[in-house]
This record gives sequence, C-alpha cells and structure tokens, in this order.
Amino acid sequence: MMTNIIIETKDVTLYRNDSKIFEGISIDIEKTKLLNIYGRNGSGKTSLLKILTGVTEPTSGIVLNRSDDETLYEKIIYVGHKSGLKNNLTVNENLYYFIKPEEQNKTTKIDTALEIYQMMNYKNTLVKNLSHGQQKKVSLMKTIIADAKVWILDEPYSALDAESIKIFDMTIENYIKQEGSVVVTNHKKITENSWSKNYQLN
Amino acid sequence: MKDLLQIINKEFLLVARSGYGVFMPVAYLLIIMILFNISISFVDKKITQELIPLMIWISCLLICILNLETIFKEDYEDGSLEMFLINKKNIESTIIAKIFTHWVSSNFPVVIIAPMVALLLGLDSHTAMILFISLLIGTPSLTLIGSIAAALTISLRSNKILLSLMVLPLYIPILIYGTNAVNNSYFGISYQGEITMMILLFILFLLITPFTCAKALLVALD
Repeated sequence: MMTNIIIETKDVTLYRNDSKIFEGISIDIEKTKLLNIYGRNGSGKTSLLKILTGVTEPTSGIVLNRSDDETLYEKIIYVGHKSGLKNNLTVNENLYYFIKPEEQNKTTKIDTALEIYQMMNYKNTLVKNLSHGQQKKVSLMKTIIADAKVWILDEPYSALDAESIKIFDMTIENYIKQEGSVVVTNHKKITENSWSKNYQLN
Repeated sequence: MKDLLQIINKEFLLVARSGYGVFMPVAYLLIIMILFNISISFVDKKITQELIPLMIWISCLLICILNLETIFKEDYEDGSLEMFLINKKNIESTIIAKIFTHWVSSNFPVVIIAPMVALLLGLDSHTAMILFISLLIGTPSLTLIGSIAAALTISLRSNKILLSLMVLPLYIPILIYGTNAVNNSYFGISYQGEITMMILLFILFLLITPFTCAKALLVALD
C-alpha cells in the first residue's frame, strides 16, 4: 500500500528526572502536510521535536522512518530556538556554508532567499549586528535554500513581525505544494485546511 | 571530502574573524617560561638546563587544556551543534575538522614557538628538534583526548575545572613519553621508542575520537 507517512511515532513517552513530560503520543508526519503542534509552555513541544529528529531517545515507544529513503535524516531541516548562525560571519557567508559543497548556483539560491525575505540590503552584514527578528529570518532562510524533505521548526513565529509571518506562511505553502512536509510548534491553534492540521500537547 | 574541506574552510574563517585569540597560547607559554626562569635562577645552571625541555612540555600540556572547552562551545551555544547531529551524515568528519582547526589555531603556534624558547634558554639544537617533534606528535593526541571530555561536559555551565580533572590523568602517558623522548635526547640516549609509541597513541586516538565524541555530544544534548 502506498503510504504518505514519512515519520511515525507510536506511543511515545518521555520522562525527565522521574517526572512525566508526555505520555502515549502517536503522531504521523505526512507528505504534503503541515503539522502544528501546540500547547502551553513546558508541555514538551521542543522535546517532542527532538524525539522526531532522533536527537533524543524516548523513554518508551518508537519512532519509525516510514519513507523509502534511508538517508531521510540528512534531509531534515531543523530550526530551533537557537539560530544556528555564526555571529562573526556575514549573512551571505552563513548561508553559503549551509549549502552542500557539491551544489551549483549557490549565489542564486542565496539571492532568491534574501529576496523572498526582503533582506537583500543585509547580505554582507555580520549576523551579530542584526536584530533578533532579522536573525530569525536568516535562520528560516535556510529552509528555502536547503534541498530538504522535512522542515522541523521550533516556534518559528516567535520574534517575527506580521509581514515576515505572511512571507513565512507563503514559503510553507509553496513548499507543501512541492511535496514537502512541515512540522511546527506554536503556542496556539492554527486554522485547519486540506493540508494542515493541529495536534495538542497537554 | 568536499564537505570536510568546506567545514575546515569555515572554521578557519571563524578563527580569523575572532581576533587575537591565536596569540594568547603563545603569550601564555612565554609568561610561564619567564616565571619559571625567574623562580629557578638560584639553582645550578646545569640542573636548569635539564629541566627546561621538561618544563616546556608541561607548559604546552597545560596550555592545551586551557582552551579545550572552546572546541564545541560556540556551536553548542548558537545551536549549530544540534543541526549537524540531526543530519547524521557527516558527524565524524565534522568533529575531526573541528578538532583539526582547533589544534592548528591554538596548539600549533605553541608547538612552533616552544623549541625556539628552548634554544633561547640555551638548549642544544638537536634536543630542541626532538622537543619540536615530540610536541608535534604529542599535542594532537592531547587535543583528541580532550575533545571527548569537552563533548561530555558541554552542557555544564562551569565545566572548566571538571574538564581539567577528567583530562589530566589521561594525559599522563603522553606526558611520560614526550618528556622521556626529550630527556633521552638531552643525554644522548635513544629516543625512537618513545616517538614510535606517541605516533601509535596518536593513531589510536585519531581512530576512536570521532565516534566517541559523536556519542558524547548526543548524550550531552539529550
């Protein structure tokens, strides 16, 4: 049977220092779907993402790679609370080193991403001289540049202004149309449609 | 291979942007040697001559520990460590690239300057040469061992003392071989055995460190 599930978790439970973070979580990351994981602070959103990316082992339960691609984890883009950017490099250099060396048209890719987020003027600015929101945008640009199968984004909306949120939503929609799948964490529900759904963590 | 070169390229650019950090270890070595010479100025000249290469070795070893924690610290703090651990592809080569650039930028200058200091203090050129060779082979092993401890302690806020306590006992074999080689050379005895052992130790640590470090980083991030 043809399945659209890429990563599946079965009955995942996580304990930290003998206290329960969450229990019995079974979610699927599907192709061409946006999954919005929401819940209050401390409900374990980041921990759940870390389990999905394979950095953390769950206390019990399993995480399965259901795609036919064994190198799936190489094609995950993770953007966490920390930007992953080097302060002493310029925006351009940060993005440049993020692209795989064998890829062609690096400059065009970087320029496209900068155009989309309207940050062309900051191309040669050191990251440490950018504001928090601008740094967040640069780290989200990585999603556009990379040739990824899954985007896993931890609170991507924090620190973004209304206009940037619009741009970001648009890039997600475009990416979903190109057979990508996206997982985001959020502190609130989003309006569901044919390609997006919510999951609440208690 | 291309990935490895790209990472090394990036790390060196970062080192170049970080300012005068590269000169600190060298300055540190010079200061220790000056203090050492002031403090033993009343000891017989013949004895100090014997002690100088050994003192230089110990200073280099301590300087090695001084900035070990910086190998992964910046990557941990800005979040790029998480990213490269998720994309399981190049973990080992990334770690080797990081250790290599760390050694070149913070230990290699010391390795070059140390024999010159020894010559300045009146050591014969052959022993200075052996000092250089033993440091050249020995300090990479020190950095390799230290990087495992640095990876393990990365999530602790004040990890410097713990790091030193973990690492120092493991440095003893290399210190013994290194100082023995230099000492033997000073007295004109054969030192090939020590040098060979140090090469073997280096190869051993080069083989196990990437995997151990990767595992340690995963544990530390968990």
